[in-house]
Amino acid sequence: MNNFLRKHSEKIVGYSLISPAVLLISLFGVFPVFFGMYMSVHKWKVFKGRFLGFENYERILGSIPAFFVFILGLLALILSYWIWSEYKDRYQFKQKIYVLISSLTILSIGIYLININWSIMVDQGDEDYLYALIYTLYYAFFTIIFEIGLGLVIAFALYQKLAGKQFFQMILLFPYITPAVMGAAVFFLIFGKAETSFLNQFVGFFGIEPQLWLFDKRPITEVLFGVKIDGLFAGPSLALTSSIFYGIWSYTGYYAIILLAGLSIIPSDLYEAARVEGASRWQTFIKITVPLLMPIIFFLALTGFINTFQAFNSIFVMQTSSAGDTMDVVTIEIFDHFWGRVKYGYAAAEGVILFVLLNVLAISQYVIFRKKIHYD
Amino acid sequence: MSFSERKFIMTKIFNSETRVPYIILTIVFIISIYPFFYMIMTSLMTAGEAINQYVFPRTPMLENYLEVWTSNNFQKYTINSIIISSITVVGVLITSIPAAYSFARIEFPFKNLIFYLLLLSLMIPEIITLLPHLLIIRGEIIPLPFGSSWMNTLQGLTVPFMGNIFVIFLLRQYFKKIPNELWDAARLDGASHFYFLTRIVVPMSMPIIVTAGLFTFIIAWNSFAWPLLILTKEDWYPVTVSIYSFVREVGPNFHLLMAACLIAIAPILLLYFFTQRLFIESISNFGIKE
Repeated sequence: MNNFLRKHSEKIVGYSLISPAVLLISLFGVFPVFFGMYMSVHKWKVFKGRFLGFENYERILGSIPAFFVFILGLLALILSYWIWSEYKDRYQFKQKIYVLISSLTILSIGIYLININWSIMVDQGDEDYLYALIYTLYYAFFTIIFEIGLGLVIAFALYQKLAGKQFFQMILLFPYITPAVMGAAVFFLIFGKAETSFLNQFVGFFGIEPQLWLFDKRPITEVLFGVKIDGLFAGPSLALTSSIFYGIWSYTGYYAIILLAGLSIIPSDLYEAARVEGASRWQTFIKITVPLLMPIIFFLALTGFINTFQAFNSIFVMQTSSAGDTMDVVTIEIFDHFWGRVKYGYAAAEGVILFVLLNVLAISQYVIFRKKIHYD
Repeated sequence: MSFSERKFIMTKIFNSETRVPYIILTIVFIISIYPFFYMIMTSLMTAGEAINQYVFPRTPMLENYLEVWTSNNFQKYTINSIIISSITVVGVLITSIPAAYSFARIEFPFKNLIFYLLLLSLMIPEIITLLPHLLIIRGEIIPLPFGSSWMNTLQGLTVPFMGNIFVIFLLRQYFKKIPNELWDAARLDGASHFYFLTRIVVPMSMPIIVTAGLFTFIIAWNSFAWPLLILTKEDWYPVTVSIYSFVREVGPNFHLLMAACLIAIAPILLLYFFTQRLFIESISNFGIKE
């Protein structure tokens, strides 16, 4: 016994040191996913009811086969991109055309499948949830694009040798550390509908009429251009756009700091070499900076999608009844189902679908950025 | 400062190389700081001034803070938040420091497998875990220590967040950089892992431990959906829930809402102010390492 202990003491110490953390994380981090799947196939209102099979999924998605074909369509989009990026540089001109044609064929098949099955799902399934997915996509897409774009600009500004760099970095993170509930409360007043609200006074300065901001459910395209568009291209409502502004405000500084760190590890002799060769600033940026920043941009885009798909606190606080359900992103929809309407099984099924979609997103991002990730 | 000196500094700042960056940073500065400025100014106004959204109050009404602080149990909620967040931080550090040490320094079977499986849990959206959490702390899935149900209790608010793989990840990165020679030397002197961890590793890693603590504190302070879900009585309401109900029924009391927000943000800003250097550094490192 003693011998055994001595021989394995290292392992025993190792396991016992990690055990509290592993226990807590598996109970509260990993186990819920599986338990959520278990709940989603039962009728569950406060207490567990009978086994339902896939009825909850059926009710949310309209038809499960349509959902799978829809996912297949998404994967086809990724495949088409993959074929193009993998083979476009490999062959002669003639074969290149075949690559292009097959890639385009798969692309159009993908779009076709997505289109058809999406309308089947919207027809037969839970419209609120499916629209919530679209609103979430708007929210995620626009916040991430602006966060990374503006973050790059700010990082570049900070990258120059400036006085007060430390100070600017400190200020940049202020929005990031502000708790979302309180930050959203301030934005709730700034984006108020009254004619005297700060933002209305501000846009009035440029001769723009007062807007309802968080209280306006008209799509942004209608507000901006006065045209009515239906479907995906209508864009987020003005209310959701206002909360997108909050998302951008709170995260851009954080992105800028990380991108700045990425910029500063790019070896300066690369820039020297480019200057000697007579490259313009823009060329240097496209040919050197962006490729070397790709791993970090990939990381930010991935965590950005996970974060924005989870955005809850700020939107929940800024919600107004006159914005209707145009601000109901997926998290709010799910929360509403189990907190407000006590439909546990149904909410769990909604959560599982969100989880599946997030994974498809992660895979597709990996495929898109795979070639551009430059490890050295 | 003479005129020529000042002119020299001005040209240095506004030479053609740095003019554009300064303009960009100034705009960013204004946008980042404006909501705070707005919050402070509004919190000092009278109700009428706040509704008409003046830029400055005519006379600063410091009594607004007193009014908020003493009304509607606001001080109790703030203290609740401080208690909840502090306990969560202590819990997270107690579980994470040994685990990170073990993952960084001790060899045992399946070490990396376990670590990466845990890391994968970062991919799971929080909203999915809330519902099973709720059933766990109601005691419906496993029997719980300290009482059969944790609804409306402090342990229910804190324990689910005491295991944090992100913190373990941060600490592990740092612990790995501690030179092996130190451990060899300690070994020769007959030191145990426990001794090495508490006497050498922890004191050497104070910067990252403080940063990780701050991260955890902010997240705990920010927690909102979970308290909303498990608290049916007001005893343990954190400040976020109270601000939320304030927003829902704010009516004409903009100035009080902003005073409440300022009080609720102040602890975080204070902590950040003292640790900002470490904080910025570890955010920079984190992005590169991944």
